[in-house]
Amino acid sequence: MTGHGVEARIGAVLAVAAIGLPFILDDGATANLSVWFAFALFAASLAFAWGHCGLLSLGHAVFFGAGAYAMSLTTLGLLPGLPGVASTWLGLALACLVPALIGLAIGAFLFSSDHLQGPFFGIATLAIGVVAARLCESWDYLGGANGLMGVPPIMLGPNGGGPMVFDTLPVYYVMLAMLAAGLVALARVMASPFGRALSAVRQNELRARGLGYDPAWLKTRAYATSAAVAGVAGAMFVVQFGFASPSLVGFALSAEVLIWVAVGGRDSPLAAALAAIAVRLAEDWLSRALGDVWPLVLGLIFIACVMALPRGLFGEAFARLERRHDRTLAPGRDDHRHPGR
Amino acid sequence: MTGADLAILALDVAGYVLILTLVALGLAIIFGLLRVISMAHGEFLMLGAYLVLVVEGAGGSFWLGLALAGPAVALVGLLVEAVVIRRVYRRLLDTILATWGVSLVIRQAVTLVFGPASHSIDLPVDAAVAFPGFEYPVYRLFIMALSLALVGATAWLFFATRFGLAARAVIADRDMAACLGYDTRAFDRATFAYGSALAGVAGAAMAPLISVDPQMGVGFLVPAFLSVLVGGLGSIAGPLAGAGTLGAIDGLVARALSPVWAQVAVLAIAVVLIRLFPKGLLGRRGRSP
Repeated sequence: MTGHGVEARIGAVLAVAAIGLPFILDDGATANLSVWFAFALFAASLAFAWGHCGLLSLGHAVFFGAGAYAMSLTTLGLLPGLPGVASTWLGLALACLVPALIGLAIGAFLFSSDHLQGPFFGIATLAIGVVAARLCESWDYLGGANGLMGVPPIMLGPNGGGPMVFDTLPVYYVMLAMLAAGLVALARVMASPFGRALSAVRQNELRARGLGYDPAWLKTRAYATSAAVAGVAGAMFVVQFGFASPSLVGFALSAEVLIWVAVGGRDSPLAAALAAIAVRLAEDWLSRALGDVWPLVLGLIFIACVMALPRGLFGEAFARLERRHDRTLAPGRDDHRHPGR
Repeated sequence: MTGADLAILALDVAGYVLILTLVALGLAIIFGLLRVISMAHGEFLMLGAYLVLVVEGAGGSFWLGLALAGPAVALVGLLVEAVVIRRVYRRLLDTILATWGVSLVIRQAVTLVFGPASHSIDLPVDAAVAFPGFEYPVYRLFIMALSLALVGATAWLFFATRFGLAARAVIADRDMAACLGYDTRAFDRATFAYGSALAGVAGAAMAPLISVDPQMGVGFLVPAFLSVLVGGLGSIAGPLAGAGTLGAIDGLVARALSPVWAQVAVLAIAVVLIRLFPKGLLGRRGRSP
């Protein structure tokens, strides 16, 4: 995976722009954007699993929902055996840990079989997602089909209490910081030896095994990593939305995040994150004009991207920028760094 | 539980298994012959059910709707093949994504036309057959017979006709079959349309027994996929064995505990079976999938 130089610069520019945005936008738009930052990090987590590691997860909302439920249960003081504990910090830790453990368990079981690879992994995760949503609907501890209501916002005190992050601007900057931290963390993981090994496994599992790597264990850890990031995104969402329901686990959200990533670009978490925000923004503008036709249009865009633009809209744009950048750096050195996939 | 209860449960399970076999068979044909994983299969099933709704709304009978469901969904399948599937052959992962997109589009289109609410369709026959000690609805027995007949017809089509011979030739060696003069494109089209039509018929047949809504496809897609994986490819009996195993577990656990635990049990047992029998319960050894 190349292009981090250009991509990092794009990310930095966008971050600076995002810091300035609340001064231009009205309160409602700023609040919307803060919620979309959570979805953006969710999309980035799937781009890491799918684009970088080749793990097409069709039930990724399981982790987003697990993170949201973990945070909600903690801050509502519903943790079993821990009455009186209501710490946002602990909630965040659990929103990271619980999805990671679920991802670890799923990965450990599925990847150790040679048969459940590639497309079959996708089908298995789809089935897990559908069943998990049904489980949440009928589990009273999780509030059943009604979900958990009245989830408190972020409390900075060690066990709840303390200053509350509730006003539009503080929430916006906290969410922006968490999204940026998540994207930087994913980029660092991708550039680390672990990330490079994962890329090797995606490109040629047999050869990676020949070089002494353990593909099953690498993929399991990668899936858990992606799950943890998705869980944090779920926690980010629920502290703003105040309501965790089975729809956060369900099929519809898994389908939506897949669209964001495919349209934005599966190779780059940043592109996927941008697409999540862009699609939500387009939805906001166009759903007034197009109404119920909008999801239809989005579905057609998704199909078009899958067939004609595997790198996605933003991914393609990044790749072109990088190519131009390469050419200005070293004239005559042409595009040989992107063999077709 | 009395003997009569047990018999009714056995018949219910058998009915579900046969419908699931029909749906899974369509998936297995499309995957086995075309190497396409059709995530839109559940939506083809839904289209079959909605077709019955349309025909009844236009004053036609249920039976006319059931008869038209196969051909109508086959036409939609032809369209989808020509516009989307044709461009993603030999890219297995992309077939999942493209057909996933198709499923979203179909679902949204149906929601636009018919609204998101669920519809119910009256049973076309109310009569029940009297068995010693209990009665059983005629219509459910009819569905079982219809599914069996279609599974049998499919086996006949692929193993006893010239089309089937050509189909197996194309599977064995596509280029050689093309050299021998078989139109492999026409074969692709026909296979996708036929597999989709099976789902359409299943949807139409099930329409009076379940609620008809835009989301109904997913509920069949997942168990059908698991059935194909559990049963194994390469024979008609594979999907039947897979659907039989999973359908029986589903029926029994749903009766003993609850439908939710039945889904959990089906998923868990399916994954374990796939781990233990990677080529499927009836899969042939030594051939890569």
